[in-house]
Amino acid sequence: MSEKVIQVGHRDIRIINQEFLEALEAGHSVVVTDTLSRHNLGVGLPRSGKIHFDGSVGYYCGGLNTGTDVRVENNAGWGTGEAMSGGIITVNGYSGMSTGAAMLGGLIHVKGDCGPRCGVAMKAGDIVVEGNLGYQAGFMAHRGRIIALGSAGPSCGDALWEAEVWVAGDIESLGVDAKIVEPEAEEVEGVDALLKQLGLEERFRDWRKIVSEQKLWYFESRDANSWLMI
Amino acid sequence: MADDLNSTYEYPFPMPSEEEVAYSDGAIKGRTPGSPSAYDKGGSTRWTPDAIAEVQALAQLGRYQVRGYNCFNQRMPTFDDLTFVPATMTRLPLEGYRESCDMTTVLGAGTGLVERPLELKIPIYIASMSFGALSASAKAAIGYGASKAGTMTCTGEGGMLEDEREASQKLVYQLTPARYGVDLEHIRKADGLELVVGQGAKPGTGGLLLGMKVVERVSKMRSLPAGVDQRSTVRHPDFLGADDMAVKIEELRIATNYKVPILVKMGATRPRFDVAIAAKAGADIVVLDGAEGGTGASPELLLNHTGIPCLSAIRPARQALEDCGMSDKVSLVVSGGIRTGVDVAKCLALGADAVMIGTAAMIALGCNSPRYEKDYHALGTSPGACHHCHTGMCPVGIATQNKELEKRVNIAAGAERVYRFLTAIAMEVTMLAKACGKSSVHNLEVEDLRALSFEASAFTGVKMAGLDRAFTW
Ligand code: SF4
Repeated sequence: MSEKVIQVGHRDIRIINQEFLEALEAGHSVVVTDTLSRHNLGVGLPRSGKIHFDGSVGYYCGGLNTGTDVRVENNAGWGTGEAMSGGIITVNGYSGMSTGAAMLGGLIHVKGDCGPRCGVAMKAGDIVVEGNLGYQAGFMAHRGRIIALGSAGPSCGDALWEAEVWVAGDIESLGVDAKIVEPEAEEVEGVDALLKQLGLEERFRDWRKIVSEQKLWYFESRDANSWLMI
Repeated sequence: MADDLNSTYEYPFPMPSEEEVAYSDGAIKGRTPGSPSAYDKGGSTRWTPDAIAEVQALAQLGRYQVRGYNCFNQRMPTFDDLTFVPATMTRLPLEGYRESCDMTTVLGAGTGLVERPLELKIPIYIASMSFGALSASAKAAIGYGASKAGTMTCTGEGGMLEDEREASQKLVYQLTPARYGVDLEHIRKADGLELVVGQGAKPGTGGLLLGMKVVERVSKMRSLPAGVDQRSTVRHPDFLGADDMAVKIEELRIATNYKVPILVKMGATRPRFDVAIAAKAGADIVVLDGAEGGTGASPELLLNHTGIPCLSAIRPARQALEDCGMSDKVSLVVSGGIRTGVDVAKCLALGADAVMIGTAAMIALGCNSPRYEKDYHALGTSPGACHHCHTGMCPVGIATQNKELEKRVNIAAGAERVYRFLTAIAMEVTMLAKACGKSSVHNLEVEDLRALSFEASAFTGVKMAGLDRAFTW
């Protein structure tokens, strides 16, 4: 696979994204330089290919990704990998608010910390955070896993649906309708396998799995017949 | 719990049964016998029978009430508070039955950024109503009817149905804060993308779909467990303020390669500011939904007591666009309680480029029609008074996910009814426009209107009938 270098600088973001698509579709792997933490780099990437941002990126890097392998050398802004349905996004540094928001599949691997509301409204897929999670991690997340090797901030797992937040470190506080459960051995194996795949050291971790208490799930229809009252 | 008091207090006596709490001893079944009174039907201005019934229901339920349909607040002004003043001596009318009046409506072309602005044959399209709130058959019927009329529909928040995409020649895809099923494939299938920051029926809150309607297909599309109460997030997952929204809009433009317009939908609350902010953030089209806007389910208090009426929102919205020099760039669409072509024409005259209709389209399709009366009665209502979309037991198969009930929607006949209704109201708009001497419905203007009440004049700045000047403070 030949490599194509695309420079960002202050050029038109629309043209830059077009160049990414053309290069990936032509079978090149792409190295992006002079990223300047610009927003919307690598939006709507195709089902395969590799793109390496050699610097920091702004909001929505890898947003709506369908399968490309994205690597961010430094830090990423808000909404990294939002609504992605496939592919892997690796952030070597920190990732801002709402990492993996509403994602439908694929994997996000953050080597540093993640900002607030990591995995908010995610529908599937995995987010692995080697550092700590900000507040309200997994807020209203539907399905999928958020796995943190570090600690979790306040209101962790707030208003979850069926998603899971795994935390190896401390949990500052649980969010509304969240509870900690002991993970099953095979679930731990699944998480360990994923971490191994990412090249993370195999060792014992004292996992806490946060899931929904499900009290909010049926808040309105506790008694369906009563809705006829009005 | 977030909303429950979740009290741990224990009474010094046994917990009453549900029957006792519900006054099942018959105490509320009839009036206590007594001597006839001048106030036989009550007389209190505060404690009307409705207010009493509400307090009693809250006392029994221990939570707010939920219902569908729209605002029941009797104080809400309507478009009937305005009248047209057609051409007489100062203006020339057009021949109502002979001369033509253009209705072509182009939305989203003004910014010049979009490859495929929305070109509609009429200035009316179908408002966002989700699959989930509505049955798939109802969505399809509405889609086909709109397509035949040369106009478009909108997905609502439940994701994009294949049947709906097929039925609707033009389809706007909604991105609500919950982002159910939003992915690149669907985004690229859409003719417009609508970022929703609120809706008129319940501004400041997210979507609501009671468990009865979260059936398997709905739960799959929304990635939810079947049968749960879907209470959607109200804030977008990946942006907060206007500056962030501008970046989000750019992201959507890139994802679609600048092909389709970006709409921003909001409930009418502070239109003078909200519309300006959305326009500045880069929207091609601002959609403003008045407090009369309908919904499949909402806490009743929000339906009745939040937001401002469509009537009062249009002028400040147009003014907002003018203030920031974007009146020609950003299209303005309004909705909320629009019933007929007369209401549509009034919206256009007040400054809208197009209107959306939701409830009116459902009624055209068969909502509240006098069929299956027994089923209405089983819900404790009757045709013409039904507001039970929240229950999922819609007698006519529109607002339901019950397969048997859904069969009551005849897609072909329903589509034709929707089409004919759209045709009829479009004709009404041109009739009024021509009477006012306009060769295009988009030439209707505030001067073509007069207010019939001080309130309407104050809300809209429209001149008072007879006085020929607007009410000012
Ligand atoms: S008839 Fe159906 S759609 Fe109409 S108000 Fe009743 S439940 Fe809702």
